[in-house]
Amino acid sequence: MAERSFAKEVQTLKLGKGAEFKGEGILAVTKALLQSGVSYVGGYQGAPISHLMDVLADAEEILTELDIHFEASASEATAAAMLAASVNYPLRGAVTWKSTVGTNVASDALASVSSSGVMGGALVIVGEDYGEGSSIMQERTHAFAMKSQMWLLDPRPNLTSITDMVEKGFELSEASSTPVMLELRIRACHVHGSFEAKDNVRPNFKLRDAMENPVRDYDRVVLPPSNFVHEKEKVEQRWPAAIDFIRKNKLNEFFGGHTASHGIIVQGGLYNTLMRALAILGLADHYGETDIPIYCLNVTYPLLSDEVAGFCVDKKAVLIVEEGQPEYLEQAICTILRREDVTTKVRGKDMLPLAGEYTGQVVCDGVRKFLQAHAPELVETSTVTGFALPEDAQRTLIETVPNRPSGFCTGCPERPVFTAMKLVQRQLGNIHVSCDIGCHLFSILPPFNIGNTTMGYGLGWSGASAFNTETSQRTISIMGDGGFWHNGLTSGVGNAVFNKNDNILVIVDNGYSAATGGQDILSSRAENSSKSTKNPISKAIAGLGINWQRTVITYDIGAMMRTLTEAMTTPEKGPKVIIAESECMLNRERREKPIRNQRIAEGKRIVRARFGIDSDTCTGDHACIRLSGCPSLTIKDNPDPLREDPVAYVNNDCVGCGVCGEVSHAAVLCPSFYRADLVYNPTVWDRFTNRFRGLIIGFLQHRIEKRRAKFSFGDL
Amino acid sequence: MATLSKDKPINIAIIAMGGQGGGVLSKWILSLADSQGYIAQYTSVPGVAQRTGATIYYIELFPAHLAEQASKKPILALTPVPGDVDIVIASEMIEAGRALMRGFVDGNTSFIASNHRDYAIFEKQEMGDGRKPVDEINSLAQETAREFICFDMDAAARSVGSVISSVLFGALAGSGALPFKRADFEATIAASKKAVQANLKGFELGFQTATGKRVADNSPVEKPEPAQPYAATVAKLMVRMEREFPPHAHFYIREGLKKLVDFEGTEYAALYLDRLTQIYAADKQAGGSNEKWRLTTDSARYLALAMAYDDVMRVADLKTRSDRFNRFRDEVKAEPDQIVHVSEFMHPRLEEIAEILPIGLGQFMLSSKIVRKTGSLFLNKGRRISTTKLGGFILLYALGRLSWLRKYSLRFSGENQRIESWINTIKDAAKGNYSLAIELASLQRLIKGYGDTHARGLRRYSVIMDLYREIKDDADAAPAIARLKAAALKDEEGIAFAEALNTFADDETQPGIEAQVSPLIPAQ
Repeated sequence: MAERSFAKEVQTLKLGKGAEFKGEGILAVTKALLQSGVSYVGGYQGAPISHLMDVLADAEEILTELDIHFEASASEATAAAMLAASVNYPLRGAVTWKSTVGTNVASDALASVSSSGVMGGALVIVGEDYGEGSSIMQERTHAFAMKSQMWLLDPRPNLTSITDMVEKGFELSEASSTPVMLELRIRACHVHGSFEAKDNVRPNFKLRDAMENPVRDYDRVVLPPSNFVHEKEKVEQRWPAAIDFIRKNKLNEFFGGHTASHGIIVQGGLYNTLMRALAILGLADHYGETDIPIYCLNVTYPLLSDEVAGFCVDKKAVLIVEEGQPEYLEQAICTILRREDVTTKVRGKDMLPLAGEYTGQVVCDGVRKFLQAHAPELVETSTVTGFALPEDAQRTLIETVPNRPSGFCTGCPERPVFTAMKLVQRQLGNIHVSCDIGCHLFSILPPFNIGNTTMGYGLGWSGASAFNTETSQRTISIMGDGGFWHNGLTSGVGNAVFNKNDNILVIVDNGYSAATGGQDILSSRAENSSKSTKNPISKAIAGLGINWQRTVITYDIGAMMRTLTEAMTTPEKGPKVIIAESECMLNRERREKPIRNQRIAEGKRIVRARFGIDSDTCTGDHACIRLSGCPSLTIKDNPDPLREDPVAYVNNDCVGCGVCGEVSHAAVLCPSFYRADLVYNPTVWDRFTNRFRGLIIGFLQHRIEKRRAKFSFGDL
Repeated sequence: MATLSKDKPINIAIIAMGGQGGGVLSKWILSLADSQGYIAQYTSVPGVAQRTGATIYYIELFPAHLAEQASKKPILALTPVPGDVDIVIASEMIEAGRALMRGFVDGNTSFIASNHRDYAIFEKQEMGDGRKPVDEINSLAQETAREFICFDMDAAARSVGSVISSVLFGALAGSGALPFKRADFEATIAASKKAVQANLKGFELGFQTATGKRVADNSPVEKPEPAQPYAATVAKLMVRMEREFPPHAHFYIREGLKKLVDFEGTEYAALYLDRLTQIYAADKQAGGSNEKWRLTTDSARYLALAMAYDDVMRVADLKTRSDRFNRFRDEVKAEPDQIVHVSEFMHPRLEEIAEILPIGLGQFMLSSKIVRKTGSLFLNKGRRISTTKLGGFILLYALGRLSWLRKYSLRFSGENQRIESWINTIKDAAKGNYSLAIELASLQRLIKGYGDTHARGLRRYSVIMDLYREIKDDADAAPAIARLKAAALKDEEGIAFAEALNTFADDETQPGIEAQVSPLIPAQ
């Protein structure tokens, strides 16, 4: 079960013609897929399109009614290869993933399907994880579109434009026999808005029609000589067909005036940002009225030479607003203008920053700079000068406002793994740690500061494969269960077995693809009606030939330390795998909390644990925090007026996982931690024993109080 | 020329930490605006930022009737632009600072923030006090924003069993920054059908405080004067304090006496006053009257902490007191009659047992290999002791009653030797350099915690004390000691401390000094 349920929202997918659809961007995209008559959908979760996968999973019933097959693919490569169904048959299909990382993984299959060409429309919806909130290397999907010749759509970020472009994308794909990519930026994926719905379309040609009447066409297979033919087809047939379609259907848009000596060319996805910048400069209103001519590229690949040249020819200068680098659009536009002998000055990355997100402020500054150079009379009239705090205030804030790096959630089962590792390093010295992708990567951040590199999803162990030599200090690699099933099984574990690796892999098995939103995977312990779960990792790696493997419950820090130490020091050669097992606390709490509350309400006896710290005995060193980093383990003023440093304190978010107590045992910290078991609906026996103990304890406590009262300073 | 319309959206940025109610608040604003005939657009950045990071929710509201009149659709932005945000809501005080830093707040902005603190890991993980001050954020917000509504909305929410989003929503309604009526806000909460009663109460608190109908309780609580006079048993001590020490120091001395009488009795507390008298004498000679007797005042504080160290008896005593029982019930939010079982995480090592034994026996235990080996069989592992059950309670209760043994113990003798030598050093320093003496007194701050933490602090303390003898005549000795102390509290691994020590490295013996200094109790 995923972190966020869309069970309620997916009902809007049933809306018919003329109804107003209100909701989130990714939900709108799903609706557009249904309106386009897709036969199959696949993908791999990851921000910003995780919710698209969650929506599809929650909509499975609706999809089945429409004869649509949905797969939660094993990886982006799997999803991309799924598009092969559209090569021989008139089947529309869509796949989705996080880009560019997912596109990297998918690119083998993408290159093949692009070479073969498609009969049915094939759409790849990529969530462009770029700019604020991104968790990956900053690159552009544009390069993949160019190298494999797939068309790249970048619609204006409103639900009407996005959903239109999904439908047009399928048509474009079919018109040009080419897979199409639809790029959605982070905030566009999550934008809440509305559009006018259409009826859902059931595909005419169904998957089973293809399976029962298979068609084989050697020309579509990527093997000589077809592969050479494909390349010619791409430039001689598919490209011109696409250009024709884009022009006829007016996929790119022209806004603003027609007479100015300057203009702006903008990626569709940045159109709203540009318009806001112009509005702030007093050059546009909030309905998009402006005198400045704007050429909005809802298709950023391929470019239409005649449209580009036609827009530029009567202007002295154009500004290209293109996010990310390299500046592919700017280069392509320069080439077009040079070939057409148009002498318009092209400005772009010389006015706007070469790298980084194009926020409203950045675009505002860039446009102002451009106009100052080419239409100074326009910006002179602008009263807006941009807003910034005085420099000394800015400096104060930089010193006062600490960053908030991401960290493990309250009660996270992954935290104790790194606590144990930190403690083991104290005994064995520093260890080279190769990290992977997933929540466990937060180990790199404070307070753990563990980890050297991260090479990609499931590549934790591969990232340390060079370090396979005679040594006294082994390396440790980390991999999540998500990464393990994504490709770590072969590229990590298989590789280590085959190459007789002598190092250690820790597989963090929390039962879900947790970082992407808690989706189920092969080894999930959860029941899932449409997927096969409960396939243990231990069996998989035993099958691959891992002889040294241990499974440890992560919350047992002592056992984890002993196992890590054993793995680091055992004379036994060969790959060593520790499966660190405990369920993701977010998922667990979501499942257990309502049940617990209900049982309490029903009058059943329930004991709930949570932890606390005695401020009397805490001396404010915070070693516990440095070994935990739990959000519910925080600090407060020291109640002892003599002491200066704040005491540690467990706030009310505590879920009672017990790690802080385990830490104080394992690291021999202090006697301040306590575990409180709160009994709900106690039995008669509970009440009796409690009363009995209370009498004796109360009596003894009273004796001390009496004695202490004798030495009162007046306010005891 | 196109004629430009003056119609514009209302732009709202919400700065919150992941999972802190920003999403709920956004949804409320969204459905409120929707019900009031506004076109509403909302975006956020879920993902890893959601895992405890700071995140921005952004909303634009556009009057639908204006768009209809113009027969056009408004173009709404997806990110806030500095200088173009009408309402900024921050769910915590540092996040309010972040909103200012990013330029979202200007002279036209209604700024609503909760002034409670949710500490960042960088503040929490420091060995001393890493908390950032927020006064500057507060005054900058006052200066910059059109209106700044700020109070502890977290406490307000908790007081009515609600969450912060309801109080923020109430404060937003109370600010009058949105053109909607109070009843419409409340109808939105009611329509959400989740925890409606508690959220309406939270809303009410937010609304009332924002409109000034209720005064936010931001002032620190004044400590009331003792209601009763002190007992006759401690009268001698209190009279001595009042007669012999300057009033500046009375607060800490009284707290110190309280702690020490509780720790080891009135005789020991008298020793505290004797020792403080020595420092006060040095203070007088050094002209402390012009310094508001800072040396005496500070020493009163640190000396009490040094003398009331935490040993097994002390911990056992504190753990079994009735006020402590009340406190943990309160902290875990137990219902008035609810049964609560408590177990303590104890990890006594051989050292902690040996140090409470009489000197000879304790030393023997630590030096005998056989005792160490057999001891480690029983000790050196974590134990959970339940203080709400009879066995555990009586064990700790009995240990707590052993404080009469303390003055014969190994630890007592070690600690008191150290304290004497520390006092002598302070007196020595006070002769020539008043601020150096104050720095030395405050070195006590390094010695805290238990086990390894305590040993590490003591080690760094000793290194600085040794270094003092070499640099005491330097003009900048006081700031040097202050710098070393700060470095010693910087990180556990001692990287900052080693770097700070290296600045004194003309002496070849310095770099390795951390390892050479023996702990208080020599472990053979």
